[in-house]
Amino acid sequence: MLLRLDKVAKFYGRKIIFKGVSLELEAGRILLLCGANGAGKSTLLKIMAGLIRPDAGRAAHTLTTNGRLGYMGHQTFIYPAMNALENLRFWAGMHGLEYRASDLAALLQRVNLLPFAAEKAGAFSRGMAQRLNLARILLLEPELLLLDEPATGMDAPSRAMLEAEIIAAAARGAGIVWISHSLEADLPRAHQAALLEGGRLAFLGSATDYARLLTGAGA
Amino acid sequence: MIRAALLMARKDLLLLCARGAGLAQALLLGLLLLFIFSLARGIAEEFSAQAASAVFWMATLFCQVLIFNALYALEEDNGQRQALLMLPVPEQSIWAGKGLAGMVILLAAQGVFIPATVVFLDQDIQGGLLGGLRLILTADLGLAAAGSLLGALAQGRAARESLLSVIIFPLLLPLLLAAIRLGAEAISGAGLEEAENWFRLLLVFDGLFLAAGLALFGFIYNAQE
Repeated sequence: MLLRLDKVAKFYGRKIIFKGVSLELEAGRILLLCGANGAGKSTLLKIMAGLIRPDAGRAAHTLTTNGRLGYMGHQTFIYPAMNALENLRFWAGMHGLEYRASDLAALLQRVNLLPFAAEKAGAFSRGMAQRLNLARILLLEPELLLLDEPATGMDAPSRAMLEAEIIAAAARGAGIVWISHSLEADLPRAHQAALLEGGRLAFLGSATDYARLLTGAGA
Repeated sequence: MIRAALLMARKDLLLLCARGAGLAQALLLGLLLLFIFSLARGIAEEFSAQAASAVFWMATLFCQVLIFNALYALEEDNGQRQALLMLPVPEQSIWAGKGLAGMVILLAAQGVFIPATVVFLDQDIQGGLLGGLRLILTADLGLAAAGSLLGALAQGRAARESLLSVIIFPLLLPLLLAAIRLGAEAISGAGLEEAENWFRLLLVFDGLFLAAGLALFGFIYNAQE
């Protein structure tokens, strides 16, 4: 088991964001986390990433190598005054990764940013910055990938590239938790689905069952 | 941890030099302070070595606050702090890296403040170069260690964190007092009987701030907003 949440709860003051959230994620599986705005999806993802402590319950992951956790939040984590290559070089160094310049160039090529390698990241559009953020994560070859609406600001070709990378990561054995509001497009790519609603996990099961449930509700 | 700290320091120095704004403000504030005190002096009046040393260290202190605020602000542009906290290295390497970068900039700033003290406050430095260097390096080590903690605190948004910085700031006073006394000695060249005692006090506070940084930084920088 790669990730396990056990009766996790989070409160802001006296307001319950969610409680009693339990789920498990195995390697190579994609879990689509759904819910309306304000349901607490991003907060739950931050708890999974270890950025926020839950007020009750326990969140644990069993990564074989420390640091092989890739988290893509609402912010891009890039330094605007550094160019794309310098950003990647810095994060690779901080993760203690051995790399060659050609490795970083290949990574930028994968996210279609190689022509902009020497440009200051501050001049990037939101979509380009998000692609650089994705390159930063791919650098780690993460075992656990936590994605909070990763396609924000991306155009159609970039979205296709992102989805291909997510599927390839799962095929390599990475566990993925993916927050998305584009259920029609993203649900077929997921193995599991979870719905946060009314401060609890209202659905947890296979993506196929959830798709069927949505179709039934729509009918 | 050391490799990560060096990488962090290198990145911070490059970014701060490229940005320029934080660095220029820190330098200008220090210079302004020295200039204002020079205006307060009457035409025939002389500034004592101790007063000149006090103004020099005040300029250094204000400069230190701005430098470390600028260094920690670099991690708030696009939420980089979150990514730093997920690194597989001890959080203290962030503190150490920023402390090292801050100390380098502080030393460079003092390279400007020393001639400014000589010119604006009409001082004639009589003391030896080695003694002065030893004082500056020892005092700056403590200032950088404490400054890196204070910089992390200043980025927090919770009121309790602001209160903490108010509490920690006066803890710098013994270090500054020792630096001022030893600085007066370095300017006048007159031997100070209790100089070694003051120097020991500097070392004790260096150790205290280094220990506090190592012990507390993780809690401070990890604090939830």
